[in-house]
Amino acid sequence: MIPRRILPFLAAPPAMAQAGPRRGILRYATLGLDTADPHRHTGSIAVQQAYVEALTSIGPDGGVEPFLAERFSLSGDGLIATFHLRPGVMFHDGSVMDAAAVRANIERVRDRIRGGWLAGAMRLITAIETPDAGTVTLRLSQPYAPLLTSLSELWIVSPRSPGWDGTITRPAGTGPFLFGQWQPNLRLQAPANPHYWRPGQPQLEAVHFDLRGDVDKGIALRAGDLHVADVAQDVATQLRADPRFVVQGLRDTTWYFLAFNNRRPRPPFDNPLVRRALGHVLDKPGFMRFVAGEAGVVTNQMVAPGNLYFDQALHEADPYRAPDLDQARALLREAGVDPGRTAIEMVSWQEPYAQAAVQMVRRLGFRVTHTPLDDIGAQRRLGQYDWDICCMASGPRADVFLRWVRLMSDGPNPVLWGGIQDPELDGMIRAAAAEPALEPRRAKYAQAWARVAEKHYFLVLGHAANQIAWRREVRGFTTGFTWSPHRADGGIAATSLG
Amino acid sequence: MRRALTILAAALAQGLAITFGLFLIFGAIPGDVVDVWASAGDLDAAQQAALRAELGLDQPSWRRFLAWVGAALAGDLGTSQRFGQPVGPMLWDAAQASLQLGALSGGMGMLLAFGLCLAQAAGSRTARLAVEAINLWSIALPTFCVGVAALLMFSVWLGWLPAIGGLLAPVIILGIDNAGQLAKPLSEEVAEVAALPHVMAARARGLSPLWLARWHILPLAAPVAVSLSGVMLAGLLGGTLTMELLFGLPGLGALVLNGIQGRDQPVVLAGLVVAALAIVLVNALTSLALAALDPRQRWRE
Repeated sequence: MIPRRILPFLAAPPAMAQAGPRRGILRYATLGLDTADPHRHTGSIAVQQAYVEALTSIGPDGGVEPFLAERFSLSGDGLIATFHLRPGVMFHDGSVMDAAAVRANIERVRDRIRGGWLAGAMRLITAIETPDAGTVTLRLSQPYAPLLTSLSELWIVSPRSPGWDGTITRPAGTGPFLFGQWQPNLRLQAPANPHYWRPGQPQLEAVHFDLRGDVDKGIALRAGDLHVADVAQDVATQLRADPRFVVQGLRDTTWYFLAFNNRRPRPPFDNPLVRRALGHVLDKPGFMRFVAGEAGVVTNQMVAPGNLYFDQALHEADPYRAPDLDQARALLREAGVDPGRTAIEMVSWQEPYAQAAVQMVRRLGFRVTHTPLDDIGAQRRLGQYDWDICCMASGPRADVFLRWVRLMSDGPNPVLWGGIQDPELDGMIRAAAAEPALEPRRAKYAQAWARVAEKHYFLVLGHAANQIAWRREVRGFTTGFTWSPHRADGGIAATSLG
Repeated sequence: MRRALTILAAALAQGLAITFGLFLIFGAIPGDVVDVWASAGDLDAAQQAALRAELGLDQPSWRRFLAWVGAALAGDLGTSQRFGQPVGPMLWDAAQASLQLGALSGGMGMLLAFGLCLAQAAGSRTARLAVEAINLWSIALPTFCVGVAALLMFSVWLGWLPAIGGLLAPVIILGIDNAGQLAKPLSEEVAEVAALPHVMAARARGLSPLWLARWHILPLAAPVAVSLSGVMLAGLLGGTLTMELLFGLPGLGALVLNGIQGRDQPVVLAGLVVAALAIVLVNALTSLALAALDPRQRWRE
């Protein structure tokens, strides 16, 4: 049944796409939803794409694809971006998605949203021109390579959505599903948008997002209570062997690393020799097997093999690809450090893999005090910079720059990587982000990475993809580059229940 | 009347003390809701400081407590810091789910325990064995373990029950657990009462076992049953938490736990205070009911 309060949306008159037979309710559970305001999307990266769309979309390989903009172009100097909007697209409230609406959304994010990297990026836009109802031109104060990928997360909402002037409470987007009834931490009911612009979609009657973080999704999938869910690596292995399920990783990976306190390094880790010693004691293949079994990938970079920015030569030159205890001990002797008398404070989330890292560090004889904390406790503790090492992980991002930005002096949120303070590195990252052409940009990122490696700010352990499992009766579903459930190349709009 | 007022005043004082204690304990958990947003990766240090100031998180805790109590007493439970939604409706939805689970399982527990004890008083050997059995069950098997076993058996293996959101399994599991805790002491009380001279005399006069149980045994055993039920109901409030989490029921326990994980202070405080007040209220009602049932309690005044 469709909740009464979304009926006004259904009353929207235009019949853009012919309605096919829509059947079934897809029950979907990955991450949560923290806000109904798509522009304040901190932490809500896996749900709202159902009801709001953006000018661009991230393809399966991480490239940019047209979405609400049916085509776009970037000037050679990277300072002018032009978007030609898809004609005839309506918001859920019946108003037209046109250049004025897009402009209003970009302005809202740029001028009225305080937090977030996206708002910061939008401040590079000095002028938004709308020569006609179907064209939007952005002029930038400086070239910004991640612009097109960033815009894939600037969701276009009807400016008539309730709460537009403050916090949007009922977003009217253009997505294949409507924002129905939302109960925080519990569920979002998203009925089909009968006027969706893409003919024949969506094929489902509704999607029910299960937002509970504390249910056993493996059991719920097996019991048939969920159709699609993210599962831990060990559950993924079990489900792969079960013919009732399909399991696929996200296309972008989560990277695991051991970071040093770079903001306020304390002895012995203020000594590069000791950082190197730790590099030699880490059993990266063992660690990644522990994390993800055979699906774990050992490397020394922030992206995995196959990614545009992966550097094969650097990967092969990794001095820490296999553990070498003798070398580690020799380095400690050279540094004059007696591990038996050295206490180390280590912080992590409450994840088993952190224990594996602790055991590896202890093999050198260090006295390790390990404090595993929940997400928020760790966030607070890491920000105090009163620790020595941390073992953490970081998930998929729409653009590689969003990984790099954490290594910059101001972050945002640089705590997981020990709060690096390195103006020279900041400059290198900025230069790479400002480089419009791919090859020179790759070279600049590679230079920045060489500096990170030389300074031993952190040690990359490897990569593993987050695993999504779905029941066999779910047809047409595929995973994306990020957690997004709806993209130009597929997702829940193209999904049906057999 | 005076006794009733005393009981209620004591209950209110307890409630306030518990609230302040909870506030202090919540304050001791590291991190706040701004850290929740920051951990999602989008805030730099200046933006975090601005948000803390906006939410009043930079104020001393006593000031925040006074502001919260003042608003709560005026009926305003505030807005969830994490979700920007009013706490009142969130709490109401959750309380309904918890009340449903608590009432059904508590009701089932009491019915089962009373039924078995009545049957035992009427002389049934099977009932006596059943009392022993469910008592052992409730002591030896934690509800959490039974819940996991039930999930695996009925949801995954047999596919009869839903794994999330289903009410039947948690109601039965909690119901049996409650009955087990209640039935044993109650049956002992019944046995004691049954051995009293006036009951033996009634039996000797040839009264039917059911008549005996209803009119001679139950009235004397009732005060014990009421105080045990009070303890059981208070325990039930805690017991529903594990079931809520295990079976994905959106109750008060799940709400508070998620609130703690998300450092959502208004939600946590409101949820805990409601739960604490409910326990205080159950205890007060039990005392009142005991006073009404057992004249000796009134004479002691």
